[in-house]
Amino acid sequence: MTDCGCDKAKAELEEYLHNELARDDAADIREHMKTCVDCSSELHVNVVMTEAVQRACRETAPEDLRLQVLSKLRDLQATH
Amino acid sequence: MPVATAPVAIDVTELESAAMSTPDGEHDSSPTTTSDAAAEAADAKRALFEEQALPFMDQLYAAGMRMTRNPADASDLVQETYVKAFAAFAQFTQGTNLKAWLYRILTNTFINTYRKKQRDPYQGTIDELEDWQLGGASSATLSTTSRSAEAEAIDHLPDSAVKDALQKVPEDFRLAVYLADVEGFSYQEIADIMKTPVGTVMSRLHRGRRLLRELLADYARDRGIAVPAPTTKGTKK
Repeated sequence: MTDCGCDKAKAELEEYLHNELARDDAADIREHMKTCVDCSSELHVNVVMTEAVQRACRETAPEDLRLQVLSKLRDLQATH
Repeated sequence: MPVATAPVAIDVTELESAAMSTPDGEHDSSPTTTSDAAAEAADAKRALFEEQALPFMDQLYAAGMRMTRNPADASDLVQETYVKAFAAFAQFTQGTNLKAWLYRILTNTFINTYRKKQRDPYQGTIDELEDWQLGGASSATLSTTSRSAEAEAIDHLPDSAVKDALQKVPEDFRLAVYLADVEGFSYQEIADIMKTPVGTVMSRLHRGRRLLRELLADYARDRGIAVPAPTTKGTKK
């Protein structure tokens, strides 16, 4: 593992965030984040934003929809 | 791993006709023409589908809400998705990624029906826009202190503000962000779902997240939360 420096860390931050990097590359970036306040603060904003989106997008399907789908499936089965 | 996402390609036209051939009449009583064994097999098939596919309903509905922007259309979209998925369930390879398969049908259905209705003027050209035409500033010039203020502000935004901001992100970008950040699909899976090359997924994701970040900062500023704007010129902090 080697510290990859800011340029690589910033360039690949999004792939890092989405677990799209090869293990070695991810390890290099993780290493860099430990010591670089600038890059880790940038990563932090990105993580917080992802969590905010996840929180905001939570939904529960209406009960009506569940019932409609179930009855549709029964109708469909009857015609096959 | 995007294992075997390729063989699950759905012929939408075929599915559409399968769905259309469904009569609306009552079919409650078991048909006398079907043997008991066949009826049992059909029951088992439906039970398996329900057991495996129905647990994704909340997630599909949430995605449908972000796509169509309203509960009635989202419900219709999800219902249509289940009807098509059930009709094509025999083509689904057990053991492969059912969630990704369902999302593919959902996305297909949305693009083929709802998007046509909405006639988004951006469609087809959005990927070709340059970054500066999309707005949104680079965060490279922000200081560490202003980044923590930004993170703090985003963390405290109400869900409604985040949803509003998401809706302002152009559709293809929004969908890429949604599939990656909310659903946790890999870039390859998103490429399969959206039928675009992985490079396009990465670009949409990058641009979508950048726009979203800028919109969230705007929102926080409007509400009097201090979020320093990044300087647009390349002056080092």
